[in-house]
Amino acid sequence: MRALRIGFLLGFRQIQRANFWTTALIIFVMMLTFLNLIAVSGILVGLIAGSERAVQEKSLGDIIITPLENEEQILQTETIRRILDTLPEVSSYSIRYQEGVRLTANYKTRRDLNIEPNTIGTQAVGIDPIAENAVTALAENIVEGEYLNPDESGYIIVGALNLDRYTAGFADITGSLEDVYPGDSLRATINGASREFTVKGIVNAKAGGVASFIYLPENELRRLSNSPSRNADEIAIRLADTSPETALLVKSVLVNQGIDSFAKVRTFQEALPKFITDIKQTFNILGTFIGAVGIIVASITIFIIIFINAISRRQQIGILKGIGIDRKAIEVAYVLQSAFYALAGSLLGALVTYGILIGYFDRNPIDFPFSDGILVAEPIGTFYRFLILFVITLFAGFVPAWIIVKQNTLNSILGRK
Amino acid sequence: MDIIKATNIHRKFGSGDLESHVLKGIDITVREGEFVAIMGKSGAGKSTLMYQLSVLDEPTEGSVIINDVDVIPLSESESTAFRLHTLGYVFQNYALVPDLSAEENVMLPLLMRGNDWGEAKKLARAAIDGVGMEGKYTNLPAELSGGEQQRISIARAVAGKPKILFADEPTANLDTVSGTQVIDLITDLNRNDGQTVVMVTHEREYAMGCDRIIHMENGLVTDIEQLR
Repeated sequence: MRALRIGFLLGFRQIQRANFWTTALIIFVMMLTFLNLIAVSGILVGLIAGSERAVQEKSLGDIIITPLENEEQILQTETIRRILDTLPEVSSYSIRYQEGVRLTANYKTRRDLNIEPNTIGTQAVGIDPIAENAVTALAENIVEGEYLNPDESGYIIVGALNLDRYTAGFADITGSLEDVYPGDSLRATINGASREFTVKGIVNAKAGGVASFIYLPENELRRLSNSPSRNADEIAIRLADTSPETALLVKSVLVNQGIDSFAKVRTFQEALPKFITDIKQTFNILGTFIGAVGIIVASITIFIIIFINAISRRQQIGILKGIGIDRKAIEVAYVLQSAFYALAGSLLGALVTYGILIGYFDRNPIDFPFSDGILVAEPIGTFYRFLILFVITLFAGFVPAWIIVKQNTLNSILGRK
Repeated sequence: MDIIKATNIHRKFGSGDLESHVLKGIDITVREGEFVAIMGKSGAGKSTLMYQLSVLDEPTEGSVIINDVDVIPLSESESTAFRLHTLGYVFQNYALVPDLSAEENVMLPLLMRGNDWGEAKKLARAAIDGVGMEGKYTNLPAELSGGEQQRISIARAVAGKPKILFADEPTANLDTVSGTQVIDLITDLNRNDGQTVVMVTHEREYAMGCDRIIHMENGLVTDIEQLR
């Protein structure tokens, strides 16, 4: 206890009387280490988290209802609709119908019949435009033209990935439509029945399939496919509270109402494709590895700083031991300095992360081809990483102090080797 | 009563051809309340002898008994504790901690002894007053002259009322006026408080206030001059 008290006095005064700019530089280095530890892995994980968030917001909703394993469609769709209407937690839902469709673009302009028709196969999604927009804000992702008007008929929205100019050539394998713009006509063929539609708008979003499909009002899709069934292929539900906990709660309510005997009910997280969670884990490991390298660099930096500090005060350390100051007190003084650098650097790093970076990346996501990357820094994960950084820094401060303090007292006083 | 009894002290450094035999069998005693000066030319071994007597070094051969404690077998931590509770030191380069104020420097060993902060501060201020440095409590060492720093160093050494005060050439870095003041201070401590003092010096005028001068040459005591 005495050693601790004196160690604190010595350490505190050393920090207090140290050169301001030197201290600032050391704290700056520690802040960068903290950011390296938190932000780098946070951005890597954020690439996937951004993708997850986009899938939740623009495709799956908070809860997704899909057909049972051995069924092609959701049974008792109308019953489910009535149940959903009674739940106050449900803010909106979109009932989707899907059919495979063949789209042809140049059927009017093709003069030479030896030229292949510009045709692609894709998925047509029949929606209630207002309900779909309430769940996924599909209208916000219209990049050309306009969104569907529920009072009009004969219009479709085309996903950008069906168009040659958006796929930059990688759609060569799947095929793409050339020179299609809002106002152009496309012929849609389902089960041999064809109808001409006018392109109302082009939709593009970095979220599972949104830009791959075409969209049209559900009654027009069912008419074209000549399907009398009102059973849907997908129901995406948006909750008033979009947290995973509420999603689980509402899912259990739906299951208790017996919906699970008509369809498969999954929260957004349960419905995420496995590859996304696998990539997330891989990026997390990668981020941790990069962070670990940062920690090693920081610990070496602290080691060198404390070593130089202690070696330049070797005579003073010898004198302190000479007048009877316990070596533990002197070691505590140097460990306290390391702790101060680690705490101050981490605190600044946390302020920058939570005060600036997270908000910045939320407003300005990193534009990656498959997602809009954000910065993910869960407080509990940040705390554990800080703890690791802190403990290693203390150790890096203790070792050089221990090396110097254990030297022979008289040799230290006299400056002898 | 003998407070220091050193017998057949040898101190060698190095080994083989490079071996240097600095102390060659010294017997010395210091009585409680006595003021002893150790004098000699450079390389005579006077500082080395003081380090053996003050538990800062361990002789190659011989025994040192201080205040009835055989200090040779003490472990490093026991030696540190022994120095803290029994001995006080004044070094020639003042040896104050530059980051601590004058009073904090004096408080250090007191806190280590277990005094609480308020008590240590009170004792430290009394010791600083005792060396004529009233009002300089919060000054940093860099804000004090050499003579003032040495007086603070003396205050630190005696604040805990040690059994023996060791002073290693305390005037070496001081001008004549400051050196005289420091010697007067140490002499007063001996005369007024009965403080046992062992001082190494190479200036005879500073040793004239002592009870006894031990003259050394080439690692041996050549003469003991009784002044009082």
